[in-house]
Amino acid sequence: MSEETMKAARDERRTATMARIAGALEGTRAKTAEVRDATPCILVRPDELTDVLTRLKERGGFDTVTFVTAVDLAPATPRFEVVHQLYSIAHTDRVRVKTAVTEEAASVPSCIALWPGAAYMERECFDMFGVRFDGHAGLKRLLMPEGYIYHPLRKDFPHQGIEPDRLYREWDAERRREFDPEAAR
Amino acid sequence: MGSLTPADTSSEGGFFTTQINAVVNWGRKNSLWPMPLGLSCCGIELMAMIGPKFDIARFGAEAARFSPRQCDVMIVAGTLTWKMAQAARTIYDQMPEPKWVIAMGVCSSTGGMYDSYAVVQGIDSILPVDIYVPGCPPRPDAVIDALLKLQKKIERESPLKDIFGGPDVIDDRGTDQRTYQPNAAVDKSKLDLHPHDPRARRGSVAHGEPEAKA
Repeated sequence: MSEETMKAARDERRTATMARIAGALEGTRAKTAEVRDATPCILVRPDELTDVLTRLKERGGFDTVTFVTAVDLAPATPRFEVVHQLYSIAHTDRVRVKTAVTEEAASVPSCIALWPGAAYMERECFDMFGVRFDGHAGLKRLLMPEGYIYHPLRKDFPHQGIEPDRLYREWDAERRREFDPEAAR
Repeated sequence: MGSLTPADTSSEGGFFTTQINAVVNWGRKNSLWPMPLGLSCCGIELMAMIGPKFDIARFGAEAARFSPRQCDVMIVAGTLTWKMAQAARTIYDQMPEPKWVIAMGVCSSTGGMYDSYAVVQGIDSILPVDIYVPGCPPRPDAVIDALLKLQKKIERESPLKDIFGGPDVIDDRGTDQRTYQPNAAVDKSKLDLHPHDPRARRGSVAHGEPEAKA
């Protein structure tokens, strides 16, 4: 296959994807833009997110969610960008949905009604960035231990952590107190 | 270990005289059952070490038990996170005395390349480590060397001191190994210098003959 044929095939695929997205989002205020890696990218507000994701899944054929994550753009405002990337198994193409949220109101609607498998990714995103997902029943820490109070992937978090041994030391002190109350006193 | 001296080779039964500490140490050091705490890639090398090619059965340490109640030496193989630290400490506490700890690999020895909020920067902040093994991951040979060094250490223990009294450390060969420093020739005053400092250049002091006393 020659270079021109391949390029033509790529362009055709991209045009078809963009047309499918435009058809699915007809009547919403969501804007579609193409980003550097040629994945179509949709910018939405938090209150439109559920509607856009539902349309993309049901009308656009984007039937799986590849990942849910966030980007910390500090010191810019709004600070966070929640990113949903969807994939269509039938058409083998992708679309990215970006939702800008501020630090004060860092929450977006959960999409576990559409994709139950997104629950873990939303938990990880909450753990690492502190973005809340409304409607998620079990939104608690996934990677960091329970009781941890920081969100490590935020830009203002030092990479060596803030008192990384605090939870262990508290547990250790409690354990020693149980084991030998006299010595701990 | 103390010597096993044939007392009377002509007697029919054939018996030996020895010290009780030496016998206990001999038994302990040749039946070191490891508690494999494989936390990351070091765990793969640890499995290779236990397997037939490297075969730590030669040193009596092949019986890896996955219950801490039956183990003597905990081999912390890999990156210990603060979240896992509670589990590691609990396992250590559940092991019966006497017990020893080998820190296998740079991650467990110092935190290694993970200068991070999640990783314990050296397990010696939560466990009493006997032997450190460098490497990322160390080859099984290096861990076997650590095992042999641990055996040497056990040889010099005085396990029945509480019952019979005696010295803390057995040194019947007179080598004074407890105070012997293998790196005694290194000038300690230069260890604190920055490596780029010209005074820290590798010279005859660090790597050659000990400096002649003036």
